[in-house]
Amino acid sequence: MAIDKRFIGREYGPFSYTLGAEKMREFALALGGAHPAAGTPGEPPAHVSPLLHDAQAAKAGPYGDLIAFPSFAVVFAIRPFGAAVSDPELGINLLMLVHGEQELEFLDVMRPGDVMTTTGRISEIYEKAGMEFVVVTSESRNQRGDVVVKGTWTAVVRG
Amino acid sequence: MARTFQVGDTFTHVRECDRYRPIYYAGASGDFNPIHIDPEVGQAAGLGGVILQGLCTLGWAVEAVGIFVGDPGRIRRVKVRFSRPVRLEDTVTFQGRVTALEGHRLVTEVTATNQRGEAVLKGAVVEASIG
Repeated sequence: MAIDKRFIGREYGPFSYTLGAEKMREFALALGGAHPAAGTPGEPPAHVSPLLHDAQAAKAGPYGDLIAFPSFAVVFAIRPFGAAVSDPELGINLLMLVHGEQELEFLDVMRPGDVMTTTGRISEIYEKAGMEFVVVTSESRNQRGDVVVKGTWTAVVRG
Repeated sequence: MARTFQVGDTFTHVRECDRYRPIYYAGASGDFNPIHIDPEVGQAAGLGGVILQGLCTLGWAVEAVGIFVGDPGRIRRVKVRFSRPVRLEDTVTFQGRVTALEGHRLVTEVTATNQRGEAVLKGAVVEASIG
């Protein structure tokens, strides 16, 4: 069942998200290969930058505070994409959905306490090779109104 | 300590999707889609078991370039196509190459292949600021 192209242009959001130091750290360490056991998490892998998990080192570093791993942005910037693919009017079977492509632009670093506001819209719906594609673009601004993250999210619905 | 980069510079980063990594990543990212944590759902979806979140693989490609330039805060753009799932106990090797230097912008192309030599990402480009 083809997804109706009249949904191109449909907007989702705004969605608000406040960055917390521990969530930022948890993401950096889980992605970086650490073991997150409560109480005995062990030493972070050596390749994980101290700017991402060591508050003392980060405060003395180039950004003056901990920064989020760049793709931590997906935690909040995914909201319009998630809302679009689960929009009942689009009628997508989520078990047939795969994430096809992803683009993220980072215009600044993200620090604890930043409040991000994300909006997004369906920019494309098309068919190719018997599969359907839904493309959502997102834009996330910080509490000063500056665009920090732009995303282009492509879902593929297997036929 | 100014570090210089040149077109043609290469780097390698190896990561393993250990048995519980999709669950750890789910907890950290909030992506609890059952295809990443429940083998039965993965089977029912025709995926042959659970698969790692593609965005975790994307993150590893970003990590590779962040290590190469020495600062994860310098990553400016990433673009990838997810061409094949990463499965439990797969080892993914990221090989990057600097393809352009434009002012303070460094552009890399990154390949990501599993232990069978199959590409799990295609057309991956990661850009960083080196100014």
